[in-house]
This record gives sequence, C-alpha cells and structure tokens, in this order.
Amino acid sequence: MRQEYAWRSLVLAGILGFVGVSIILQIIRIQNSTEAATFRKQTASYINVTETYYPDRGEIYDRNGHLLAGNKTVYEVSVDLNNANDKHAIALTVSVQLGLNLDDLYNEMVNPPLIEGTNMPVQTVVLADNVSSDQAAALEQYKSAADSQASATGTKSSLAGLGFWAHPQRSYPEGALASNLLGFVNLARRGYFGVEEKYNGLLAGNMVQVSVPTDPSKAVDIPHVPNGTTLVLTINRDLQAATEQILDESLTKYGAQHGTIVVMDPHTGEIFALASSPRMDLNQNLSYGQIYHNASEYDRAISMPYEPGSVIKILTMAAALDSGTVTPSSTYLDTGEIIVGGWPIHNWDNQAWGLQDMTGCLQHSLNICLATLAGKMGAQTYYGYMNRFGLGHLTGIDLAGEAAGRLKIPGDGDWYPVDLATNAFGQGVSVTPIQLMMAASSIANDGRMVTPHVLYAMLRDGRQYNVSTQYAGSPITANTAHTLNQMLAVSLENESSNALVPGYRIAGKTGTAQIPTQFGYDSTVTNASFIGWGPVDNPKFMIYVWLEKPSTSIWGSETAAPTFAQVAQKTVLMLNIPPDDIRNQIAKP
Amino acid sequence: MQNVNYTVDNFVHAYKQAPWRLQLQWIGAFLLGMFGFALVAALYLDITSQAGIAGRNIQDMTAELTVIQHTNADLQNKVAETTSTNAMEQRALALGYQPVEPNQMEYIIVAGYAAPKPAIFAAVPMLKPAAPSQPPEYTQSLIEWLDQRLRTASTTSMMGVAQ
Repeated sequence: MRQEYAWRSLVLAGILGFVGVSIILQIIRIQNSTEAATFRKQTASYINVTETYYPDRGEIYDRNGHLLAGNKTVYEVSVDLNNANDKHAIALTVSVQLGLNLDDLYNEMVNPPLIEGTNMPVQTVVLADNVSSDQAAALEQYKSAADSQASATGTKSSLAGLGFWAHPQRSYPEGALASNLLGFVNLARRGYFGVEEKYNGLLAGNMVQVSVPTDPSKAVDIPHVPNGTTLVLTINRDLQAATEQILDESLTKYGAQHGTIVVMDPHTGEIFALASSPRMDLNQNLSYGQIYHNASEYDRAISMPYEPGSVIKILTMAAALDSGTVTPSSTYLDTGEIIVGGWPIHNWDNQAWGLQDMTGCLQHSLNICLATLAGKMGAQTYYGYMNRFGLGHLTGIDLAGEAAGRLKIPGDGDWYPVDLATNAFGQGVSVTPIQLMMAASSIANDGRMVTPHVLYAMLRDGRQYNVSTQYAGSPITANTAHTLNQMLAVSLENESSNALVPGYRIAGKTGTAQIPTQFGYDSTVTNASFIGWGPVDNPKFMIYVWLEKPSTSIWGSETAAPTFAQVAQKTVLMLNIPPDDIRNQIAKP
Repeated sequence: MQNVNYTVDNFVHAYKQAPWRLQLQWIGAFLLGMFGFALVAALYLDITSQAGIAGRNIQDMTAELTVIQHTNADLQNKVAETTSTNAMEQRALALGYQPVEPNQMEYIIVAGYAAPKPAIFAAVPMLKPAAPSQPPEYTQSLIEWLDQRLRTASTTSMMGVAQ
C-alpha cells in the first residue's frame, strides 16, 4: 500500500517537475528569441528621452534701462486624441475662444496627420500656438468647469484631452518704436534684421540637449542653461520716439514718400536714435511682407544707398583743403558752366555766381566750384580721400543688412572722366546715410573718423561689458577739420539757413539730388538731405535727414533743413545740452 | 547510578540522531536566508523609493522654477508696457502736462553738479546659479556601492602595507 502511494507521489512529482522545467525552458527560449531582441530594442528607446532646454532669449534695453525687447509666456493648445472624449465640444470651445475656424479644428482632430515616416497618426494634435495668457486662462477655466461637471455626474469630461503648454515668445513692449533698428524674431527663434539678426548668436544663447531617464528613480542633474546675453543699446528711447514723430510729421508736411533720420554722437559713434520709414509693429511680424517689398527697405539708413547730392561737397572740400589744393580764402570765378570730358556742368540754378571764396562755394552749393576743385586735385588724390572717408565700403555698424554703396574709380569699366566732376557734388556715387555720417564724423571730431555702433554694453552672468569707441582712421588732419567746421558754420549763418537752432552754433550742409532713372536724371523729383552737427566748438550730436521725393518743395534747404532743426531742438533738450552761452559760463573757472 | 547514566546517554544519543533535528536545521537555515533576502529587498525598495521621490521632487521644482521665470518675464514685460513711451505720454497729457518747448527751458548753473552718466546695469557680479551635484547614493546601485567599498578597503590595506 505504502509503495503504491510512493509510486503515485513520484509520478505526480515527475509531472510537476516536468511542467516546472518546461516553464523555465520556455522562459529561457522567449528571453533569447529574436522577438525578445526586438522588444528589448524598442524598450531601450523608451528608457531615456532626449529633452532640449532652450535658454530664454536675452533682453534688449535702451541706454537708460528701458526694456525694448523682452520675453512673454504664450501657450500651445493641443489635444491628446487618446483622451479626447468629445472632439466636437473641444473644437467648438477652442473655435469660440480663439476665433479659429470650427471645421478646420474638427477636421484636424478627426483626420490627424501621420507621424513622419510611418502610417500611424499622431496622438497629439496642436490646435493653436502662441496663444496669449489671457486666452489660455479662459480656455483652462472652461476645461475646469467641464471637468467638475463631469466628476459630479460620474461621466467623462467633454473637454478631456485638451492641454496647454507654456513657452516663451519674443515681445516688444514699445510696439513699432525703433523697429528698423531692433529687427524681430520669427517663430523659429531666429532674429531677422537689425540688432536681433546681428547679435542673434549672443541673444539666443546655446541650447542644451540632455538624455533623461523616464524612470523617476534615476534622477539626473538638470543642466544649468544660461540665458542669452542681454544687450544694452546706445539708443535713447525718448529721443528715438521724438525723432520718429518728427519724421512722420515731416513726411506728411513735405509730402515725401519715405524718410530717414539718424542722430549720432560724433565723438564716440554711439547712435542715439535711428528712425526710418515705414515701421512695423514688431509684435505683428507676420505683417513684414505687406509692409516691405524687399529687405533693403527695412532700414534705409544702412541698407539703401542713394545719390546724396550736395551733402557730399563737405567731403570734396575737406579733401581740397587737406591736400593743400585750396585754402578757405582761395577764390574762384564762377562763369556758370564748365565742360568736363565733353559734358557740360552747371550749377543747381543754372546761374553764374561770379567771384567766390571757398566758404561761398559751400554756402551757395556751387557744383562748378566743387567739380573744378576735384579736377585740380586729380582723380588719384580725390578718390584716395573718398576711399579713406569710407565711400564704397561698409562702415561696420553693428546692424544686419548694411550696404556698401558704390564709388566708381578710374579703371572701372563704367567710370568716365566726367564722373570725377559729378562725384564731387554727389552725382554718380551712391552712399548710405550712415556712411556719410561716419565720413563727416572726422570733420566734427578733430580729423578722426568713428565707427558708428548701437551696442552700449553686454550683460552676461551678472557682468557688464561696455563697448569702447572704435576709430576708423584719420582721413584729414585736425587743422583741416577745424577749418572746415568753421566754414560750414559760417555758410549756414550767412545763408540764414532753416537748419539753424537758436542758442546753438551749428555746422552742416544741405543736399538736393535729382534721382537717376534709366533715361537719365529726373528733374521733377529729388532726394532732399541735410547733415549737420553741433555745438560747433564741441560737437555733441550729429544728425542726418533724408527725405525721399518731397512734393511741397524739391529743395533740401526747405524740407530736410527745417526737419534737422526740429530734431536738433529735441536732441539738445533730451541730452541736456545747454545753449552755447550757458556752456561757456560753465566752462569758465 | 549506572542506570541513570545509561538513560542520559541514551537521551543524548537519541537527540543527536533524531531525524526532525536535521530538518529543523534546514528549515532554520532557509528561514535565515529568507530573512536576509527580505532585509536586503526591503532596504533596496526603501532606497529606490527615496530616490524616486527625490527625482519627482526635482522634476516638480524644475517645473516650478520655469513657471517662476516665465512669470517674472511676464511681469517685467507688463511693467515695460505700462511705462512705454506711448503709455507715459498719454498719462502725462491726461494729467495736464505738456511737452516742453525750447524757449521754456531755463538753465541754471549749479556749482559742483555732475551730469548723470549712462546707466550701469550690473556693477556687482551675481552668484552663478548652479544645479547641486547629486551624491552617489542617488545614482549608485547596491552592487556598485559594494564594489566601491571593497575597492576602497583593498586600496587602504595596500597603502597600509606600503607604509
């Protein structure tokens, strides 16, 4: 009997043992199968996720600490299709709150796009991006109300699956102010134009990618991602606003199509204000295509070369004085016409002005006089000076999209002897306003030319790095600069120019240039310009005005010069520059 | 007396040879092993759960930090919008102020007055915020910890020999 039990026990034990061994063998087989390898590979891809940490873009301030460009929180509104209970309710809520098309939203959820490279639809559909905090908060309130109602009735929320993801977006609290200078950032976080493009690398900072385990027990160091560098500009926000206002008023008053005004410190090259038309609200940068037809229109002060006309005569006279070709008292008999290279050259009024000294040549803006001086200097000397003044070269201003203009020189295929004469009074040569300001800074700054710049300082890791003045050579001597300074001041005073500012001695020059077309120069439309600086004994500001095609008057003296005076009056107020007599009293011990 | 001794010897002999005694030893050893295993498992579970909680806390705090940074940026932006040139001009006009004209300006010479210099934005370097480094207890497995201890012990003993 006992043996029979023992036999049964052995059989049972054998069966159980066989089952146990079979299970173990099966486990080993499954573990080492090709399917297991595939699953292990798939699992490995979920062990870690690569997370990208983007630094916040650096802010931009004006020289007095006013925020010009910052960051604000916006939301991406998405829906998790696995959790979405009532797609129509979600589409309706989002449509009403964000003003989007209901059918488009619903179709997006019903026919979600496929994951790239697969036939599988995405699980999360983005319904809207860059949604403002207020709109996102309103949507969240709806969702909370729906969730509460659903939990009370024991059903699933009609807005289940709706989600919000916050992320920073570039913001410009001043709207369109200084838009031509600042540039903007697109949705892909890339800067376009102006400071945003030029310093994109510094402002954007460096993103960091980290492989993070999905297992929360495996905590890893969260990398410290330093924010982008904060920039402080040389711009004075209030002067910028005033300059833009004056530009807008002048465009209307003189019927000009477009215009540019730049205010600069001629000693340091710091740009105090840069106004150009048209401007755009930087928070609505999608309107760029509607406002501008090509990139050179964005900032005319640096990107759009033009034939400046008589303002260039200050450079011709500087070269003539510095080379010893003439002195201020040298005289010239103006007969009303000269022939150069077979082409007749006339004055702006086609009149003969008789005997003139060099100040008279500038005061009456005599084309023939300046053309004669260029001829006396010779092409080599004249173009040597123009080259040293930086014509035909980039100034190196720290703004994106600068154009170099064109200075034809002997040897170029399209240079003719008459060009030497016409270049002397600003025809046949194209420059940007910023180029002429850099060149003229040598006259206002003891012969030394400064590189214009808009960056005052950089802030990084709590440290401030100030930008120092960069000199771009000394095309003329200090003596020539002082002499020409006085000549230009006297010429304005003798002329009782519209550019004069009561209480302040100003030096400057008007320019009225016919506009070249395919069929020669159009005498009905002009570019009106004025460049000036003051106070003459110690220049604190230099202002360039360019009005395109003014219709009330074609003359720079009647359009650009009074605009200069208006800007100069605002500049002395906002930069706290007292009138000359007060300054002289302060200077006395 | 001899009988008594015989009885005791028999009892000791019987005890030594009792089959249940061997089984008891096996059961005891098994239970001891189980207890040791349970102890190690409990410790491992405790450490793992602590690491998990710490990991979650880090994630929560990181998210909170991001939210605070965004809130700061939003507030800064709001201040800038409130004090923008347009807004300030509107407010000034509403309060009855007017733009000053050059002929309304009166300059007074004040002895010793120094004109304001451009703003200095960051005179004192701030401390660099850095993520604290994790102690190895948060990332090390039990086997790695044991291995490290053994290596340390062997290095120490070798140094002792060298001295």
